[in-house]
Amino acid sequence: MLPYLLKRLALTVPTFFALMFLTFVAIRLVPGDPVEVRTGERGISAERLAEFRHDLGLDQPVWKQFIDYVWRLLHGDFGTSVVTNDKVLHEFLTLFPATVELSLCAMLLAVAIGVPAGAFAAVKRGSWYDQTLMALSVAGFSMPIFWWGLLLIMQVAVKWGLLPVGGRIDPIKYYFEAKTGFMLIDSLMSGQAGAFKDAVRHLILPTIVLGTVPLAIIARMTRSSMLEVLSEDYVRTARAKGLAASRVYGLHALRNALIPVITVIGLSTGGLMAGAVLTETIFSWPGIGKWLIESIGRRDYPALQGGVLLVSAIVIFVNVAVDLLYGVINPRIRHGQ
Amino acid sequence: MASDQAASGALAPGIPVGNVALAPGGLANFWASFAENKGAVAGLAILIVIVLLAIFAGSVAPHNPLIQFRDAVRAPPVWETGGTWRHILGTDGLGRDMLSRLIFGARVSLFIGLMVMAVSFVLGVVLGLLSAFSGAVVDTIISRVMDLIMSVPGLVLAILIVAVLGPSLFNTITAVTVVFLPRFVRLVRASAMAELGKEYVTSARVIGVSKLHLMFITVLPNCLAPLIVQSALGVSEAILEAAALGFLGLGAQPPTPEWGAMLADAREFIRSNPWIVTMPGIAILVTVVSINLMGDGLRDALDPKMQRS
Repeated sequence: MLPYLLKRLALTVPTFFALMFLTFVAIRLVPGDPVEVRTGERGISAERLAEFRHDLGLDQPVWKQFIDYVWRLLHGDFGTSVVTNDKVLHEFLTLFPATVELSLCAMLLAVAIGVPAGAFAAVKRGSWYDQTLMALSVAGFSMPIFWWGLLLIMQVAVKWGLLPVGGRIDPIKYYFEAKTGFMLIDSLMSGQAGAFKDAVRHLILPTIVLGTVPLAIIARMTRSSMLEVLSEDYVRTARAKGLAASRVYGLHALRNALIPVITVIGLSTGGLMAGAVLTETIFSWPGIGKWLIESIGRRDYPALQGGVLLVSAIVIFVNVAVDLLYGVINPRIRHGQ
Repeated sequence: MASDQAASGALAPGIPVGNVALAPGGLANFWASFAENKGAVAGLAILIVIVLLAIFAGSVAPHNPLIQFRDAVRAPPVWETGGTWRHILGTDGLGRDMLSRLIFGARVSLFIGLMVMAVSFVLGVVLGLLSAFSGAVVDTIISRVMDLIMSVPGLVLAILIVAVLGPSLFNTITAVTVVFLPRFVRLVRASAMAELGKEYVTSARVIGVSKLHLMFITVLPNCLAPLIVQSALGVSEAILEAAALGFLGLGAQPPTPEWGAMLADAREFIRSNPWIVTMPGIAILVTVVSINLMGDGLRDALDPKMQRS
């Protein structure tokens, strides 16, 4: 296991360097001089300008700038936001829990509904239920989630007034320190009555919106994987020896059918991050996705650069973790042997 | 294998047949197989209507999509109180006719989807075949670059590209194409690699056909089936992605009637004039669903290896 892990991690190193190169080049291609952006319209003296350029390292040759950039990255310095003057890594880490919380809830919803729904559809293949579910799954898979979010806000939040329109908690009623950054945990720890319930109420709509596409994919995937397993010999044997249907489907079939489903879940991280950009924008959810979009609007390129790099790094690591997990769950694939 | 070769050899190059039953009646067989899937036929029918609307938008649309009817700003659709037949689906915040904008929007969205697909198809075939046929160095470079692109979440990469190039319709197409390219390259490379070991390729080599002939005429037709399926499904995803960019203000710029951008404009009317929000979304959803249904049918018909479920 360990040699495999090391090998797998070593393989990500070139990708990281390429990523650094990509973000470095991308920022250099952006129209507009970063110094001019900072100086504003009134301009500054020539000496101050030279000083500025020197501070930003822009008076160095480009290859030197790239090496400096990589060197700083390796030391955990992802640059400084030109808008807030805060370290990009610090901003990222402050906002990241909000995105993780939302993504985890969305994934949980997708798995909790998608797996049983898909498995049941496979068992009842061709039935009215199966056909409805598959039709819904195509719709879910094709859903423009930014519209789906607006629709839910319009109906549930505005028209019926059941749930809040956006944000993570009502800041007027509840105020407490963000200890973990996870609102569900923080609100519980704050001890304020109703805070946890309010946090949950804020989470519901964004979770549904972000969870819709994974839900559709997981339901579909579970169904087809289950169908495959149901035709296997050991399922027939289990039935033939008179085991209860619930035991055959639940214990024998579903467990094996879940293996490809887990891969799909793991590989959805990238999709979740992309979905988070849209979901967070619609629901004013203060996470990474909204922050990235706002950085573009504010021409805060260091933030955008660092953000893209960090998001990609996370996706790469999660994929490595999924590979490992796959080996643990599926005894037929054993790494390092 | 030998019959495979004979059959594909008999076809004019460029005819998209992969693992379909070939030779006389191939198309009929394909249609029979496709028509088995009722959803796919329905999807195709809806898609044809949308395509026709997009092509003849100029004569079908009741109004010019850019004209602002100052006397009818935010007019409701005809079935709601106050709605008139002049603006069947109502008007938007600037008094532009919703139906006309949706019809012209179909043109924009389909254009984006088809362009993305066409460019990534061609580039994907060229790069994928190069990767499979050239030496290890070229293969490694191409594969690593594709890995790199795939390691950045699609929409995030598209956003980065548009942020660098500036928002426009053309740059939307560029960004989404870059995001989609790796799938085509990998698909072509993998299927070409699988074909390379087969006997008909060896015999073609023995006969001494040129490398280009081997790549594009001997091997490529046998890799087309999964590629066609990927392209069809890719169009729907490209439309969604482009609409998402438009919604974020990074796609087609106003006053272009692009569905995603229309939704972005509609956000402020969420409380007062719901139809402005509802209509463009329905247009996107219906288009994407119809293409996906059709794509599923294509996969079942073209690719017997994929399990029919």
